Amino acid sequence: MPSEPTPGLAGARPDGVTGSAFPGPFPVGSYAALLREELRKRARVQLFGEVFNVSLGRARVYFELRDGAGAVPCAMWRDAFDRLGLPEGTLTDGAQVVVAGGPDYYPGSRTSSPSFSFDVTGLRVAGDGDLLAQVDALRRRLAAEGLLEPQKRLERPRLPRCIGVVTGEGGKARGDVLAALERRGWAGRVVWAFAPVQDRRAAPAITRALTDLAAISEVEVIVVARGGGSLADLFAFCDEALCRTVAMLRVPVISSVGHHADRTLIDDVAAVACSTPTHAAETAVPLHCGEARAVLGATARGLSRHADRALAARAAVSSAAGALARHARRAVITRARELAALSRAPGEHIARQRRALHQSLREMRASATRRVAAERAGNRRAAGALQRRAAAASGPDAAGRRAALESLALALAAHDPERVVERGYTVVDDRAGNVITSAQAARAAGGVRLFFADAAVDATVSQEQHKEKE
Amino acid sequence: MTEHATETPTYEAATARLETIIRRLDSGEAGLRETLELVREGRGLVEFCAAELDAVGRGLEELRLDELVARLENG
Repeated sequence: MPSEPTPGLAGARPDGVTGSAFPGPFPVGSYAALLREELRKRARVQLFGEVFNVSLGRARVYFELRDGAGAVPCAMWRDAFDRLGLPEGTLTDGAQVVVAGGPDYYPGSRTSSPSFSFDVTGLRVAGDGDLLAQVDALRRRLAAEGLLEPQKRLERPRLPRCIGVVTGEGGKARGDVLAALERRGWAGRVVWAFAPVQDRRAAPAITRALTDLAAISEVEVIVVARGGGSLADLFAFCDEALCRTVAMLRVPVISSVGHHADRTLIDDVAAVACSTPTHAAETAVPLHCGEARAVLGATARGLSRHADRALAARAAVSSAAGALARHARRAVITRARELAALSRAPGEHIARQRRALHQSLREMRASATRRVAAERAGNRRAAGALQRRAAAASGPDAAGRRAALESLALALAAHDPERVVERGYTVVDDRAGNVITSAQAARAAGGVRLFFADAAVDATVSQEQHKEKE
Repeated sequence: MTEHATETPTYEAATARLETIIRRLDSGEAGLRETLELVREGRGLVEFCAAELDAVGRGLEELRLDELVARLENG
């Protein structure tokens, strides 16, 4: 220090630290003012690096300028910043800029905190930040290796029983996830894998948590949740080893890192990227369990209605089949009875005929017996007469008499009308037994009967006149 | 076929099959025998889905990963 600070007005100077060879003690306010003075004397320079944690206040614009080796907090008057005319959104996390200025120190007061900053008097945007460029390069490399796709091909259960969640133990994301699951009516098992989510230890810890969760067979889906932050804060979720691990997990990972404007690499390799932990939890359980129960009840009732209808139809068919069977049985019995009756009819007819025949036979036998007896008596009488005649005829001229008798018989036979008829003549009568011997009588009779040798036939006489027989 | 009938069905597969069954029944094209078979299969699927819903409705259980791992390691 070129000069000692002047004592303040706050009162008497206290004693120094025992054994210390340093000068003082001096009032801190004086020292702070000197410190600012000294810093402001430092050479004005230009620095370049990546912008993070930009805060646009009404009077001042604050941000950090970082690179791989270190960082400096920067501040710029708001009116100077506005005069640059940068398009809105240019000064965002990761933007690479060149700043001009020098160190400054705000000494603070009894009621305000002191702060060191690099007072920026000039600024130029130099291009994309290294971090974003690294992330983009890694994204392209993972895409080229096909590692953005495997998670998206995994089947996600609509109703997981067990969900793994990787998040910060004290973060708001935990409560958001639980609230969303409760709104889904889901009350299964949640396995929490708490891990730091924003410092150097974050990426390896998250990677290990994911691997451990995926190793538990009952875990069906994993949610990785973290609230918003700067890209630097979220940079752990762009870690290459972490992203490669996620890509190869057997369990689908739903990421919810930062807000919708932030895009980390884990969002690209995960099965689904969500904007909030709430959305991630809802994505992990797509089904609203209460609604699903209602739908399932309606489905069961629909099935019952179909079953009832089918059973009623089957009962109706069964009833109709029963009626048909009864009708069929009745029809068969009726037909069988008819057939039986029909089959009995010829038998009865034959029996009747047989009885009639037997009766006729008996009558014929009786008649024949009577006739034979009568004939026999007649024959006996005739035989007696013949014997008597033969006895009378027998004598010396018996032979002569026999010859005469035979001659008479022959003569008699010659006059027998039947013998004449046998030779082709016909006897005609008037059907009343009166023999007709003239054409006139025949015409008068009209209908006549012709007796031939074998039988008689009826004939009608034409009234036509024929010539008289010549 | 590599799938076996004994393979555990998933909730989504069961609900998808149920929707197919209901569509078929509602079409009125299924005969008596098919209707009764579909209803029997459907009731089985409804029971399965109801059991799955019951499994996630018994009350939220929260476990820390390290506790669960320790429990699994200790058998």
